[in-house]
Order: sequence, then structure tokens, then C-alpha cells
Amino acid sequence: MNDDKTIVCRCEDIDIETIRKLIDQGVTSLEEIKRITRCGMGPCQGKTCGPVIAREIAMKTGQPMEEILSPRSRPPFGGVLFQEVLEGIDDEE
Amino acid sequence: MRISEHPILSFRQNKEVHFTFDGKEVTGYEGDTIVSALHALGIWKLSESPVHRRPRGLFCAIGHCSSCLMRVNGVPNVRSCVTPIEEGMVVESQNPRGDLYDHV
Amino acid sequence: MITCDLLVIGGGPAGISAAVAAGKAGLKVLLLEERERLGGQLTKQTHRFFGSVAERAGTRGIAIIKDLETVVAQLENVEISLSTTALGIYEDGVSTALKSGKMIKIKPKAIVVATGAFEKFLPFENNDLPGVYGAGAVQTLMNIYGVLPARRILMIGSGNIGLIVSYQLVQAGAEVVGVIEASPKIGGYLVHASKIRRLGIPIYPSCTIKKAFGQDRVVGAELVRLDEKWKEIPGSQFTVDCDAICLAVGLNPLIDLLGQSGCQFKYIPELGGQVPIRDESMRTNVPHLYIAGDLSSIEEATAALLEGELAGLSAAKQIRPGQSLEARMEEVKTHLRALRSGPVGEKIRSGLSKLTGEALPTPSPRTNAIDELSRTGIASPANLAGVLPDEKRKKTRAYAVIECYQQIPCDPCVHNCPFGAIKPFSDINDLPIVDFDLCTGCGQCIGRCPGLAIFTVDETRDGDRAKITLPYEFLPKPVREETVDLLDRSGKCVGQGVVKSVLNTPKQDKTTIVTVEIHRNLVQDVRQIRVVQKS
Ligand SMILES: Cc1cc2nc3c(=O)[nH]c(=O)nc-3n(C[C@H](O)[C@H](O)[C@H](O)COP(=O)(O)OP(=O)(O)OC[C@H]3O[C@@H](n4cnc5c(N)ncnc54)[C@H](O)[C@@H]3O)c2cc1C
Ligand code: FES
Repeated sequence: MNDDKTIVCRCEDIDIETIRKLIDQGVTSLEEIKRITRCGMGPCQGKTCGPVIAREIAMKTGQPMEEILSPRSRPPFGGVLFQEVLEGIDDEE
Repeated sequence: MRISEHPILSFRQNKEVHFTFDGKEVTGYEGDTIVSALHALGIWKLSESPVHRRPRGLFCAIGHCSSCLMRVNGVPNVRSCVTPIEEGMVVESQNPRGDLYDHV
Repeated sequence: MITCDLLVIGGGPAGISAAVAAGKAGLKVLLLEERERLGGQLTKQTHRFFGSVAERAGTRGIAIIKDLETVVAQLENVEISLSTTALGIYEDGVSTALKSGKMIKIKPKAIVVATGAFEKFLPFENNDLPGVYGAGAVQTLMNIYGVLPARRILMIGSGNIGLIVSYQLVQAGAEVVGVIEASPKIGGYLVHASKIRRLGIPIYPSCTIKKAFGQDRVVGAELVRLDEKWKEIPGSQFTVDCDAICLAVGLNPLIDLLGQSGCQFKYIPELGGQVPIRDESMRTNVPHLYIAGDLSSIEEATAALLEGELAGLSAAKQIRPGQSLEARMEEVKTHLRALRSGPVGEKIRSGLSKLTGEALPTPSPRTNAIDELSRTGIASPANLAGVLPDEKRKKTRAYAVIECYQQIPCDPCVHNCPFGAIKPFSDINDLPIVDFDLCTGCGQCIGRCPGLAIFTVDETRDGDRAKITLPYEFLPKPVREETVDLLDRSGKCVGQGVVKSVLNTPKQDKTTIVTVEIHRNLVQDVRQIRVVQKS
């Protein structure tokens, strides 16, 4: 390990300082943070980082959690290989 | 380390399963996942993180967090905590992240 | 495209219960479970469940799930599909799932989602080091795969999960160096806290983790004390040596699957965060979409089973109207309300009232002062005085000491006294009260208490010898006439005693009942024994 870091997103390897800097610059929605950092776009789809980042935003901006968190998840839930999707097509007539 | 005796549970010693981890021959038991077999051998570091190359081990053990992604039989991004070991399986650390082209 | 009446997603207690209820009502049910076995959280729970005996409390989680599996397997119209991950629920009611490398499509008439919860993560320095594990992962490794997660573990969080997993770690042969808790009070049930305190595990309230140490894996942690405003107290840092850090800091409902279904959510921290909006019959805003269990609010298995049944019945009522299911539905609702009516249900009650406006009965006032106990996990002399018989009664016969001081929804003890000496509960949150005229000190109740909080004391003999009988769930088991260490409520060794009997038949189901002869001055201090390891 090179240095002490507080990781908020294991998938995309993003640390809390990166997030805090963005919020300080006025990037205060989950959606924007996601588009800039890829946080929440990794294989776990924001299950671990989402609530942590939402709390950071709430603490810094005073926005209620309710407004910060919006269910953005879309299917599929979990990773799927293209091959698996193709396998399924055989079933359709 | 394996739990040899337990006051409530009993663990059957199943058939040995041989596979390789980063080129080294290792042994687990039938019923193990890659993570449980490696962990029992004291191997906790599974891969390195994609950007900062920090050591990564398991976190959730139920396939939900992605902390345990490894390259298995050449396929990257396999969740090693929910993937059962198989005889002759080739398991490798994934550093830093699976490449798109090596499998095509 | 597969068709069925009801699709149930998630094979934990809630999902199984929904499948059984709907199956019994004649629906064609398909139950999907991601893992290769049914049971969800229950498959990892080696302890006896607290809760309601009607929902099998007092039995180990792993045994409850065996029963449930048998029940569901008997229903021919319920098909179980294991190793099948539901991938999405779309607005047109079609679901997709992944089974054996193949994507399948399902078009049911109704869906019950019971996907449970996902563990919360905690930001601190080096929180991604190998050795920082979720509590669920620790349980999976040790209780499913038989692999010891680590040797010296630091537990973060003193909720029921943190307390119970600590106990299970010691059973598996690990050492727990401490349980830390940010709040000034222990979060979980105090019987579970007392259970680990008497093993000598310290609990540190008002304390949090700042940092994990280590290069390739955890070798220690830096902790810091918090003031009453949860702010770090400067200079109060201290370090512990440990080779793993286990996070038990709460769960979030696993709502991902509902994202595209049109289901609405509300942020209610009391229920675990972002939760689906639903009514008292577990129906969401989407027609034909129901939810149950930890997905709807983080609670316990009893609630999950009842909610699952309710969701299954609601779906049956909607798909096949005309059946008389209302009476049972009302019964289940009443049972759920009773479960949540006590002091520990307060959080859930306030969360639910934000969600549905459900009015729930006000709790009965607390009957015991437990402030000191809830900081330390150690009963005070005042607590104890409230549960002992008078001096005269102590001399006449053996008697039970039930060290259950906190009102929790749990009732196995009442149902396990052959003499009816534990007063019947009017409410599942009642405290057990022993009628010492009826109690014979037989000890039948000891092994059935999920809190392992019942002991029997026999101080009828003259002289300085007395006997204590207690539950014991560790290895090695003591043998008769062996000398063992006697531990008090904080795990301190206060003397030695001689084992007089060891009851360990299948009926005890691995909770060994041990009677030890000790000095009479110690009968109210000794609450645990330690087998002296022969070198
Ligand atoms: C350490 C610990 C101790 C506990 N002790 C007690 C106790 O003593 N008494 C008590 O009453 N309760 C206890 N509980 C709580 C209890 O276990 C839970 O409340 C209960 O299991 C919730 O049931 P559920 O069915 O909602 O969820 P779960 O048990 O979590 O089941 C959900 C299931 O859904 C499956 N699933 C998830 N996503 C998908 C998908 N996309 N496709 C298919 N399947 C999916 C999962 O694999 C899982 O099997 C304890 C919990 C823990 C962690
Ligand atoms: S450890 Fe979380 S996905 Fe494997």
C-alpha cells in the first residue's frame, strides 16, 4: 500500500478526498459525481458507495438524504455475460 | 485455517480439489469457493485495485461488492467468492483490471 | 417465456414464507434463489433465534431453515429454482433471471420481492485492506465453509449482528479483541451483550475506528473516543492489535431489483435507509408487486416470516379472489403489531408510521432500570436483586435466575417451563417473572433461552458449598469431576469449581447444561465456566 486512503468505492478505486473536493466545487448530486468519477458504475452498481457518498453530500450541503438518494439502478442486477443473454434468445419462438 | 472442530457445526472433509493460484499449485476441498480455499491457506490478498494498485481481499463473500474480482481460466472480473473451485482451475490475481482483448 | 401465478424472488425466510402461503392458497408459485441453497441469512445462524415460539424462536437458525425447506418441498405447486439470480423487473411485469448461464424470462401474475439486505460500509483510512470484512462475510467463511476468518478480530458495531457474530467467532476458535460502538449505549439486545462480556470480550461505547494498519493485510487498528455529540475527543486515540476488522454497522435493504419496476421509495433511516413504499398488506404502489422481509425494513426473522406470509396471502387474494384469507391476514397483522409494540420496537414503529401512517399501540412502560447495563452489558446488583427469591425461599429449593432485564420480543422461556413457573406473557415484550412457589430449579428452561440468560442456583445445603447450573456452548466440553475456572459477568476468573453433571443429549441440541459445585459466596457472581486446557 502506497499511502493511507479512505476508499469509498472499491470497484472504481475512488477515495473520499476526491469526493469531498468535488462537493466543495459544487458538484452536489450523486448523478454528477457518478458521471465525473465513475463512482457507482462499477460491478457492484453503487451498493457500497452510494449511501456513503450521499452522507458526505448531506453533511456538506445540508440537503436531506431523501433528496440525494434516488434509486437509479436499472436491470440487470449483477453482471451478465453477453453469451448468457444470447443463450436465452433460443427460447423465444 | 480450517476449523477442525466446532461446538455446533460439523464440517465434512470432502474430496481434495487441485488448482493453481498465480502459477502455484494449491489445494482446496469440494464445496469450497475460490475465496474460501485461498483464505484457508492464508492467502488473503486476491488482487490489486484498478487505479491505485492497493491490495484487495474479500469483503462481502456473497457476490455483491466486487472486492474479490479475479481472473479465472483466463476470464477476467470473476467474483471469486461465489465461484466454486474445480480441478485444474487456473486462478490469477487481476492486476490492475481485466483487459477486454485477451479473451476475444 | 415462463408463466406462473406468483413469482417469489429471494429464498430467505420472507420469500419461503410467501411461497408457502401462496402455495397453500392454490397458486402456482416459482421461487428464485440466487445461492445454491435456500435460507438467506438463516443458513449462517448457529445460534438459537430470539423471537416468537410460534415462528420457531428458541431454535437455531440452521434448524429453522431445515423445517421451512421441508414445508415448502411438500407443496407440489411451488417450484424452487436455486442458483438463479433475478436480474430485473420491468414495468410490463416481466422479469428476467439468470440460470445456469442462460437468461430466462418470466411473466407471472404477481411478484413478491424478498431479496433481503446488504451490509453498510464504513469510511475510514485503509478500509479496503484485506482483513476488513463485512460481518456476513465472516459468517459465511466460518459457518458455511468452515474456514476461520482470522485469529484476532476487532468488531465494529454492537448491534445484534456484531454481538452474535462475536459470540460465533469465539465458538469457531477465534479471539475477539473488542467490540466498539459509536453510540454511548450498546445497540443490540443486552442478553447478547452479556453473553460476550462473560467471555471476557470488552465492549467500548462512544468509540469509533479511524484507521486500519497494515501493508498487505490488517495488523491493527487505531480507535478514537467520541463525546456525547459524536465528535472525536482529541488525544483519545488508542491502538489495538488485530488481524481482521469486522464491520457490523447495519444493513441497507437490497432494492436494486425494484429500480425499473416503477416502485416508489422513501428514505426512512429507522427502517434501514431507502425502502420501498408499501401498505400494511405488503403491497407496493405497483399493482401485483409485493415485498417482504429485510427488504421492506431491517428487522428480524420472525417479522420476515410474518411479512412473507402476508405478502403471499395478499397476492393470493388478488389473483384468486373469493378465498377467505382475510381472517388469517388480520391475525398476521395483529401478530406483527404485537411484535413491534415493545421498547426495542420503537424505532421500527416510528419508521413505519412515516411510511404508512400505521398507528401502533404505545409501549408498556419499562419495568427495570437498565442504564448501567446498557452501557456495559453487565447487570448491576440492583438488576439482580429484582429477579432473586427471598432468603427463606433460597434455602428451601433450587431456583431459576433469569437475567433478562430488557424488554425484547422473545418468549421461548415461557413455553419451556414444565411447571408453568414463568408467568404467562400478555405481550411478547414482557419480562419473564418466575413464580418461586412453582419453580423447582429443574433447569429445563436453561437451554431454551436464546439469550442464554437463565441459570439455576442450589444453595439448600448447609456448609459453604452450593451449585450453579449454566448453559455452555464451547469446546472442549467439561467432564464430570473436572475442575474448571469460574468466570464472572465480565469474564474475570473468580475461582474454581468442580463439575457435578454434564447434560448433553440430543434434546439439549448442543447447548450443554453444566452443573458446578462452587463456594456459596459466588453463586450470584459466576455466570460462565472455562475448561482448563491441559498442556
Ligand atoms: C448475524 C445475524 C443474526 C441474526 N439473528 C437473528 C435472531 O436471532 N432472530 C431473528 O429473528 N432474526 C435474526 N437475524 C435477522 C434475520 O436473519 C433476518 O431478518 C432475516 O433473515 C430476513 O429475511 P429475508 O428473507 O428478508 O432476507 P434474507 O434472509 O437476507 O434472504 C434474502 C434472500 O434473497 C436472495 N436474493 C437476493 N437477491 C436476489 C436476486 N436478485 N435473485 C434471487 N435471489 C436473490 C439472497 O440470496 C437471500 O437468500 C439475524 C441476522 C444476522 C445477520
Ligand atoms: S467479496 Fe464481495 S463480491 Fe466477492
